[in-house]
Amino acid sequence: MNRTKVGTGVGFAVILVWCLLPIVWILSLSFKPVQETTTGSPHFLPQTWTLQNYKDVLNNSDFTRALLNSTGIALIATALAVIFATLAAYAIARLEFRGKRLVLSLALAIAMFPVVSLVGPLFDLWRTFHLFNTWPGLIIPYMSFTLPLAIWTLSAFFREIPWEMEQAAQVDGATSWQAFRKVIVPLAAPGVFTAAILTFFFAWNEFVLAISLTSTTSARTVPAQLSFFVGSDEFNPPYSQLATASVVVTIPIVVLVLLFQRKIVAGLTSGAVKG
Amino acid sequence: MTAVTATREPAVTSDRAVAENSLGRRLVLPAVLLMLIVTAYPMLRALYLSLFRYRLTTPDDRAFVGLSNYTHVLTDSLFWKDMGNTVLIMVITVGVELVIGFAFAMVMHRIVFARGAIRTAILIPYGIITVVSAFAWQFTFSLNNGYVNSWFSWLPGISADTNWFGGHWTAMFAIMVSEIWKTTPFMSLLLLAGLSQVSEDMLEAAKVDGATWWQRFYKVILPNMRAAIMVAVLFRALDAFRIFDNIFVMTKGAQNTESSSFLTYRQVIEQFQLGMGSALSVLLFLSVLLLAWGIVKLFNVDLAAARGEG
Amino acid sequence: MRNIRRRLALGAAVTLTATLLAACGSGNDSRPTLVWYTNPDPTAPAGFKGPFGQAGIAQRCSTDDYRITTQQLPGDASQQRIQLARRLAAHDTGIDLMSLDPVFVGEFANAGFLADIPADQATTLTTDTLDGAKEAATWAGKLAAAPLWANTQLLWYRKSFAEKAGLDMTQPVTWDQIIDAASKNGGTVGVQANKYEGYSVWINALVEGAGGNIVSDVAKGIHAKVDIDSAAGKDAAGVIEKLAKSSAKEPDLSVSNEGTVLGPFATSKGAFIVNWTFIYSNYSSDKTVSKDLGFTRYPRTTADQPSKPPLGGINIGVNDATSHKSQALDALNCITSAKNQARYAAETGNMPSSSAAYDDPALTKTYPAALLDEFRTSIQEAGPRPITPYWSDISSALQSTWHPANSVSPSTPKHSASFIKDVLDGSKLL
Repeated sequence: MNRTKVGTGVGFAVILVWCLLPIVWILSLSFKPVQETTTGSPHFLPQTWTLQNYKDVLNNSDFTRALLNSTGIALIATALAVIFATLAAYAIARLEFRGKRLVLSLALAIAMFPVVSLVGPLFDLWRTFHLFNTWPGLIIPYMSFTLPLAIWTLSAFFREIPWEMEQAAQVDGATSWQAFRKVIVPLAAPGVFTAAILTFFFAWNEFVLAISLTSTTSARTVPAQLSFFVGSDEFNPPYSQLATASVVVTIPIVVLVLLFQRKIVAGLTSGAVKG
Repeated sequence: MTAVTATREPAVTSDRAVAENSLGRRLVLPAVLLMLIVTAYPMLRALYLSLFRYRLTTPDDRAFVGLSNYTHVLTDSLFWKDMGNTVLIMVITVGVELVIGFAFAMVMHRIVFARGAIRTAILIPYGIITVVSAFAWQFTFSLNNGYVNSWFSWLPGISADTNWFGGHWTAMFAIMVSEIWKTTPFMSLLLLAGLSQVSEDMLEAAKVDGATWWQRFYKVILPNMRAAIMVAVLFRALDAFRIFDNIFVMTKGAQNTESSSFLTYRQVIEQFQLGMGSALSVLLFLSVLLLAWGIVKLFNVDLAAARGEG
Repeated sequence: MRNIRRRLALGAAVTLTATLLAACGSGNDSRPTLVWYTNPDPTAPAGFKGPFGQAGIAQRCSTDDYRITTQQLPGDASQQRIQLARRLAAHDTGIDLMSLDPVFVGEFANAGFLADIPADQATTLTTDTLDGAKEAATWAGKLAAAPLWANTQLLWYRKSFAEKAGLDMTQPVTWDQIIDAASKNGGTVGVQANKYEGYSVWINALVEGAGGNIVSDVAKGIHAKVDIDSAAGKDAAGVIEKLAKSSAKEPDLSVSNEGTVLGPFATSKGAFIVNWTFIYSNYSSDKTVSKDLGFTRYPRTTADQPSKPPLGGINIGVNDATSHKSQALDALNCITSAKNQARYAAETGNMPSSSAAYDDPALTKTYPAALLDEFRTSIQEAGPRPITPYWSDISSALQSTWHPANSVSPSTPKHSASFIKDVLDGSKLL
């Protein structure tokens, strides 16, 4: 018994170190002066601490523009994907209709799709429709690729909702709209919210399409901008500034995780629990 | 797609059923259309282009070549080398993640304190941008700025001058570490969900019957988690098979660390070889399908049924 | 009347904002806007007022007839090529002018992406352009893009080290000499040998320096003659093999680039590096290094032939699909004028391709005359990488067969020649 407890305690520590060490590392790098990383600095912690990198990165208009693009594109894609997924998931969880399995299989296939296979033709297509290097040009594929996850998660949540309560409320004299709003919405909201967070993570993280379907700062998102990061001279990747930019773009993730860890875990595992 | 097996469709008889049928279809239509626009058309287009010799920068040189792009690719050593790298990365990372993920899941299952803290910690690698993870690990292994060489110089083969990105195996190692770090949390959460489905009573009963820890694990826990393990392995394996971001950031494919996705990307995007690149795209797609089919067969679980009938 | 004009202006402003989300709105400016896609310039020094580098040129070259704005491309040259080529192939009219690395001028010109520069204008643009830079901007006998600046590599060394090793740096030195001098005295020779374009730059310079070429007859496209399997190719392989096996190599040789060699050069082991012109100002804050910094002509591959230093830089091309072709062509004259080249060089350290610009006070007051002369001669006598539409394939094929440097052997040239041929005729994947 005691041995298990000790094991769990050690495991706890290992997990924390495992998960947080690289985060602490980029944090530490972000406080190192650029000169220190250019000449080489194998120390874990900065020799001298500086906030200059944060000033530089936040004054870098390409980077802030990319932040704006990422935020806008991810939020819009998330909102739309969740709306469409809610409709579809409701149908899948609640209604009997032909082709339901086909829809689910399609979603599964899309979730597995090698995105790289698409970039060539998609590039041509987007050029024709003037979607290349625009927000919608990224929002549309992000919606498509997050729909499977969102449908998956939402249909699992929706199936758990006791829909009889809706009828019970109607029997008690509520209109069907009231019944839906007062009974169903509060029950469904956590699921929708969870799906939204997972969708947001995907859109925030996506890289292949972001580098292939954009060409200027008007639509380039953060991951693409990071990989094209230009430092003060063309031959030295500014390690510490890259780390700083990395820290900045990780902050929203950490905030979301801190606020909603329970929901995210529920959402991630909803697909696996049943089965 | 591969998980579909023929089952009964609801018999459409009553008016109510007809209405439900049409409502259901209308509700899923937007999602289905969206998923198809972005995948079906481009895939068909890739299939068509793959039959041509066609390069964006020499448009006059376009010609129909039949299947010769495919024969060139399939007989090319680079294609197989990259496929080998991809499969190796997939097998090793998924294998390691299963083991570590299981250990993590066990800890999280048992733990009675700080559940919120551990969940938060474990979700950070999951949520972090892959490019950021790649940078963090690239800097970790960097010769001039990394701490690995100074922390682990007591290990044989590691010294202050160990150039991780200078050799094939060390560079592959660094890439895999980044991949494993970022995705183990996902694996462990799925396994945790599976673990919570294993009935404590059965474990207790096995214990009473004198089963050792290993026997309980092997005979009770694992069989009851088959579905969870399969979902975890399926999603992670397909994800690992498509590995791109880490390689793009860390080595750009140098030291033969290129994956199939990276090769396809280079042909299509960097070399503008739309014909040859499309053939690679099609082959990549087929490999993914084959892989998914293989994993589903291996575990023998009907995923769509699990979701659809619930 | 006024109403119509206002409506037109409004319409123009709307279109402008729609097409150029990133560029700030120009209000009721009715001049057409020329969009110039530039490679990133170095960051402006603290306290610098107004637009810097190419953005500064854009402002100075805006006229009553057109306004020039800039859009920045990624830092990596191969990424610049990708971004531009994909849009040019789509006849994108959103690009008017573009900054091109010399190595993809051939490819872009051959694909018809670049507007023809009229012969008389070409003559004006290049009257005093240094030979190497001019050669690198020419495709099929015609000027394809206007040289804005030229880069070249010198051999930079620590004076104290050369003295200790007893090497006379006033005479041309060979690779053999510097590798020996460094390895015998505990120093290092910094080169660029990661699997990237910079490694091709080195290989090309070594081959050219031995009097050979990687490919010739480039007009024949994929049937160009592959010449690397030659005595010159073996000489080049010999140098690389020698360095890779010597104690003078840096530990990160196989991932080294222009940036990784900077740190080691500043340490006590620092002896020699081959690197671009920016080195002169790179160590300005490190007094020990800057006082000890020597420079001379790029090392010779063989003792009896002058070296052929690498050439880089930027040429300005006009998009063939632009709707403002005459204005864009007109803008070339101002953008690449000797005056602008000198000022640009003084701001950024990117050296002029125009010979006259080297005498401009803007430059002579910041750089020592001897250094400017060395740059000018080095560009004049440079051995540019072959101008061919297939350079990126040839370069990647070179990198595949010559990387890592410690695998290079006398058989490498032969092996790489056959691989390049296979890649060019499409029977091998890259």
